[in-house]
Amino acid sequence: METLAFQGLVGLSVAMYLWLLAAGLTIVFGVLGVLNFAHGSLFMLGAYFAFTFYGLWGVNFWLAIALSLIGVGVVGYLMERLFLRHIYHLDHAFQLLLTFGFILIFDDAVKMIWGGVAKIPAMPGFFEGTLSAFGRPFPIYNLFIIGAGLLVAIVLWLLFEKTWWGKMVRASASDREMASAIGVNIPTIFTGVFVFGAMLGALGGALGTPVRVVAPGIGSAMIIQAFIITVIGGLGNLKGAFVGAVIVGVLSAYGILLFPVFELFLIFLIMAVVLMVKPQGLFGG
Amino acid sequence: MNDIIRTEGLGKYFGEMAAVHEVTLSLKEGLFTSIIGPNGAGKTTLINLLSGYLLPDRGRIFFRGTDVTRMRPDKRVKMGISRSFQVMNIFPRLTVFQNILLPVLSRLNKNSRPLASLRSQKEVVAEAEKTLQEVWLQEEKDSPAGELSHGDQRLLELGIAVASNPQLCFLDEPSSGMNPIERIKVLELVKKLSAERKTTFAIVEHDMDVVFSLSDWIVVMNRGEILAEGKPTEIRDNQEVRDIYLGEEI
Amino acid sequence: MKKTLAILSLIVLLFLLPLFAGKYILYMTIHIMLLSLFSLGFNLLFGYTGLLSFGQAGFYAAGAYGCAKILLAFPSLLVGIIGGVAVAGVASFLLGILCIRHTRIYFSMLTLSFGMMIFSLAWKWRDMTGGDDGLVGIPRAPLEIPGLIRLNMTSMENYYYVVLVFSLLAIFLFHRIVHSPMGLTFQGIRDSETRTACVGISVRNYRLISFTIAGMYAGLAGALLPPLESTVTPPVAHWSYSAEPVLATLLGGIYTFPGPIVGAFLFYVLKDIIVRFTQYWLICLGAIVLVLVLGFRGGVVSIFYGKGGQG
Repeated sequence: METLAFQGLVGLSVAMYLWLLAAGLTIVFGVLGVLNFAHGSLFMLGAYFAFTFYGLWGVNFWLAIALSLIGVGVVGYLMERLFLRHIYHLDHAFQLLLTFGFILIFDDAVKMIWGGVAKIPAMPGFFEGTLSAFGRPFPIYNLFIIGAGLLVAIVLWLLFEKTWWGKMVRASASDREMASAIGVNIPTIFTGVFVFGAMLGALGGALGTPVRVVAPGIGSAMIIQAFIITVIGGLGNLKGAFVGAVIVGVLSAYGILLFPVFELFLIFLIMAVVLMVKPQGLFGG
Repeated sequence: MNDIIRTEGLGKYFGEMAAVHEVTLSLKEGLFTSIIGPNGAGKTTLINLLSGYLLPDRGRIFFRGTDVTRMRPDKRVKMGISRSFQVMNIFPRLTVFQNILLPVLSRLNKNSRPLASLRSQKEVVAEAEKTLQEVWLQEEKDSPAGELSHGDQRLLELGIAVASNPQLCFLDEPSSGMNPIERIKVLELVKKLSAERKTTFAIVEHDMDVVFSLSDWIVVMNRGEILAEGKPTEIRDNQEVRDIYLGEEI
Repeated sequence: MKKTLAILSLIVLLFLLPLFAGKYILYMTIHIMLLSLFSLGFNLLFGYTGLLSFGQAGFYAAGAYGCAKILLAFPSLLVGIIGGVAVAGVASFLLGILCIRHTRIYFSMLTLSFGMMIFSLAWKWRDMTGGDDGLVGIPRAPLEIPGLIRLNMTSMENYYYVVLVFSLLAIFLFHRIVHSPMGLTFQGIRDSETRTACVGISVRNYRLISFTIAGMYAGLAGALLPPLESTVTPPVAHWSYSAEPVLATLLGGIYTFPGPIVGAFLFYVLKDIIVRFTQYWLICLGAIVLVLVLGFRGGVVSIFYGKGGQG
């Protein structure tokens, strides 16, 4: 019993990384109507940047996180401004193809710049150590991650429900023409939202640095999980992304415990079941 | 005269808003019906419900006595209901000829053959050619449909709707977005099709001259409900109807 | 007339190739043919039916592993190849039922996900697939029909002819399909799903048929691999492998019949050249995708023939 509860806690911390990734993906889709296949690569870049600043150059942990967000924000800005913007008017398929091209570029670029070997980073001092949970030692850092994820969820909720910026973004999402007509600068909002989504994904990657392996290919592994989460939760729905991330994170953890080797299969099975019952996702419209 | 299609208490709601509410009507076979009403009255939603594009929240629909309320659009077409769309919905990358060929193939249940060559389907080809001539698009046969003029696309839209040889055909604002010359042509075609084919037509239309000259029956909708229905003369004299059009000449 | 002559000359050239080309060229040509089949299937889904699948490698792998397992137990080439295609067909039919009911965007996400699910199966299910070592020692079994013929396959030339004949037959079949009423139905679905439903066609059924045929073409390409390489490993199911038919088709031309075949040829030529200069050829590939999507959506064929090419 305690093993199960403990594993659930482990799953919850994993879920938070997935939540940050899925949140960015789903926000970009909800507002721009674009599914960014390369979103996992932005997560990966966040991890690599943070590792470089913090792990290689010894920069202060928090500063390193901030710098990686800025770095990936710039990458996201260039992606949207120079490339994505020119094909909004085309069939969705071409947006998918374009972002798919970016996955190929990022995956190899990362190998080229940092080498193909997986990195194992160091833990920041104040997070070292464990707390006892359900009779087992649970890393304090993982508690921090759970806290951070919940904090982001609250902040996002406040942002989109209560602020003027959030309202403008939601207006642009639901009716582009109308928003434009009342003076909302759609291209700027789009760039802003894309960068915001990229930074959320990067945050997920960056926060994982002290505990997770930084390697080429983690981007594509994550994007598959992000897709499963958004399919389960409903594309464009933040609540769905959070719930979906928790489901996938916790189930993966149980899967590893109870059906090792086939835990990925379990996740796919859950997705298939959700799709058969509710094709647009649990919270999809 | 038989009912060709009838509804009982049909309702469709989007959140709090009733797009269509408590609509009970029956259309008689062979009578040309026009559905009119101000913008937002629910006319297109009604067509969408009757053709299967949307499913109702309440009520039932019967086509020649068969309950088709939740039947998929493609099955309804096989039963004999077809429609055209207000916003143009043709096959842009196919040629004009292929646009007509597909519905004919479907009607004759021949669209599933994976190895037959299109040209060898003589019966199908002949019928498609005939329909093409019927809608005056013979000249544009091999052009990609997306490259046609707006007016010709609308003729094609009508052609696709009648190519499945429907018993009941809904035309949703067939002349919308047309310049005056194109409008005349489209409405001439509607007139011709209704005279020459055994199809019962029901159109949504704003042009009152057309409505009153073509219709045998008029249904007036307002705010999702049926305000009035009857013969053109009855509708013309109906005070409530005149009111919602705010004194427009009808 | 000129076109038919050109095609016939090409076919004759392909049959005569072993007479003057070395083993390496034959090997490359076989791979080009495999990619052509793989890409034709992909394009049936994308160019003809409007469905963008990033998971076709899953069915390629099903064909490859299926054929390999059969050949290891029962070394008859025909049985192996047909068996591989059958496995891929069943897999694509079953997964298709799950995938085709959704909007195009969900479809693309699902195909990527299911493709990777097959990859993870291939990688982890050691007992069945050999895990990350894969299956080895697969014989290039003889082509035999009991009582009729028995052709030894030890020489590359013989196997080349087998692949050539299978490819030509498959390409011919593909040509018939896309120019048939069924092919027109697929294209109707691509152009307007609503309209297709409103002419009385079940969009779902035809999407599934298209998906299954595409899966079988991927499976055929996959099934022809093990006798050539004598091993099958998990990377053939990976999404980066799914990228190859996507790229080849985009390069050659999405909206045309020969596009995928032209693209397969160009893909190998490009890969061969790029790999001599750098090991980071995925970056180049990605850059080529960007250029194509931004400016040349109709691919190489449209540049020369000016057909279609608008988004």
